[in-house]
Amino acid sequence: MTVYESDLPGVGRKYELETGDGRLVVIIHHDGLREVYRRESPDADAQKLFEVSVDRARQLAAVLQGTDFETVDVGALSAPLGEAIIEWREVAADSPYAGRTLGQADLRRETGVSVIAIQRAGETHPNPSADFTIQEGDILVTLGTREEQAALDDTVD
Amino acid sequence: MATNLLLVAGIVFVGLALAGSIAWYGRLSVIPAYLVLGILIGPAGPTVGGVSLSLVRPGEFIDLFAELGIVFLLFFIGVEFSVATLAAKPRRLLRAGGVDLVVNVALGVVLGLAFGFTLFESLFIAGIVYPSSSAVITKSLVDLGWIADPESEAIMGVLVTEDIVMAVYIAVLAGIAIGGAPEALLYHLGQAGVLLIALALLATVGRESLARVLDISSDELFLLRIVGITVFLGGAALSVGVSEAVAAFFVGAAVSETRHKDRIERVLAPARDLFAAVFFFAIGLGTDPRAVFDAGTLLVAAIGLGIVGKSLSGYLGGRAYDLAPRRSIRMALAMITRGEFSLVVAAVAATASGRLAAEIPAFAVGYVLIMSILGTILMRYSASFERRLTG
Repeated sequence: MTVYESDLPGVGRKYELETGDGRLVVIIHHDGLREVYRRESPDADAQKLFEVSVDRARQLAAVLQGTDFETVDVGALSAPLGEAIIEWREVAADSPYAGRTLGQADLRRETGVSVIAIQRAGETHPNPSADFTIQEGDILVTLGTREEQAALDDTVD
Repeated sequence: MATNLLLVAGIVFVGLALAGSIAWYGRLSVIPAYLVLGILIGPAGPTVGGVSLSLVRPGEFIDLFAELGIVFLLFFIGVEFSVATLAAKPRRLLRAGGVDLVVNVALGVVLGLAFGFTLFESLFIAGIVYPSSSAVITKSLVDLGWIADPESEAIMGVLVTEDIVMAVYIAVLAGIAIGGAPEALLYHLGQAGVLLIALALLATVGRESLARVLDISSDELFLLRIVGITVFLGGAALSVGVSEAVAAFFVGAAVSETRHKDRIERVLAPARDLFAAVFFFAIGLGTDPRAVFDAGTLLVAAIGLGIVGKSLSGYLGGRAYDLAPRRSIRMALAMITRGEFSLVVAAVAATASGRLAAEIPAFAVGYVLIMSILGTILMRYSASFERRLTG
């Protein structure tokens, strides 16, 4: 597919995409606004379809791209690492570990896994120290063998 | 008559806010609204029901703001000056821009000579008649949705050719207007030449160093640095007899090809809008409406020729750009709008003496008032022109 790109001095940039039946024209303004037009034939005037802000445009682009938007099931995520695997696990409200420090929980002695990071409210705290307090909703990123991870599963909930 | 400076500024900005809103709701350009406000509350303001509207006199605050307005208007024209646009379809653009230049400058010069002006004065009239308004036309293109159609590429391309022509034009005219006596003139032109070469170097080889100076995460410091550089160079240019507007244009062009372009648009646009509003206001302030009426016949002739010239050059330019006849009609109508550049030329004329300072600024104000409103309206009703003229 051909995309034609051109400068619009004082406005922003224009992109024209050839589609089967005419062209899509996207105007990206300097302030981030995106306008999308459609032109049915070379002689026709472009009709404005919609306009979106930068953030909305990114979401729309992800949808169009086919990115899966379902909530990630953190329990099911794992990555191979030799014998050991890394798993992500959310701390439930009634978990015995909620409210305790890593030192108090002592997960390595209990189950054998090492806590390599804790994710809280979108932020990742790598290599947390022993006085890091675990809270409800935290996501524990742990390294261990399958058996060790299973042992953690039994105790964390 | 207000006595403290802050109150004067307050009156000016309240007035600008109101005038701008009226234009906004009428879907018209704000430029004529600011001009009219300047005329109404300036020294020549009328008396309504025994109360004089004349509240504001030209003064240091307004003069300085207006000067900054010119600097930032031209700075932004430099920023938006797009080499990529010129390079994309150079041959078509050269033809379309060439027709635009030849037809409209020639008409301007002939008009001036026919009304008994000297050749030099007629060049000023040509400088007022020739350039279309990038600011107003671009806004209309977005509002009307033409921005996504092929004619906007041609229109904006020709506007960019006008920008570069006008930068050189103002540099030369201002040099001569400020220069005065022939021997001093030569000296000034020498100084001006050195500075222009320095600025051109800044815009080419100095671009990367300039970009590095602007590598700063704080928007506040970014704003101060770019304002500092632009205003300082503008002032330095003025002190050696080069138009500050031209210096600002070069600084803008220098930063436009760097990674900072979008950020400049975002961070500096409010500063430009503020100062430019005062510039348009100040032009109105310095205008006596009687002088506009005195320029009556010249004005009527200029408006007629201005419409005919731009319609012709716009249509031919559109055809030269390979636009269909219907789209070329749109281009013809769009190009009729005049604005900021004509007023910058008027401001240069006002610094000179004789007929140049006495008659030309008032003429420019009348011309821009009519042409900016007329152009916007013609674009809005372009559909019926297209139907009638193409069948």
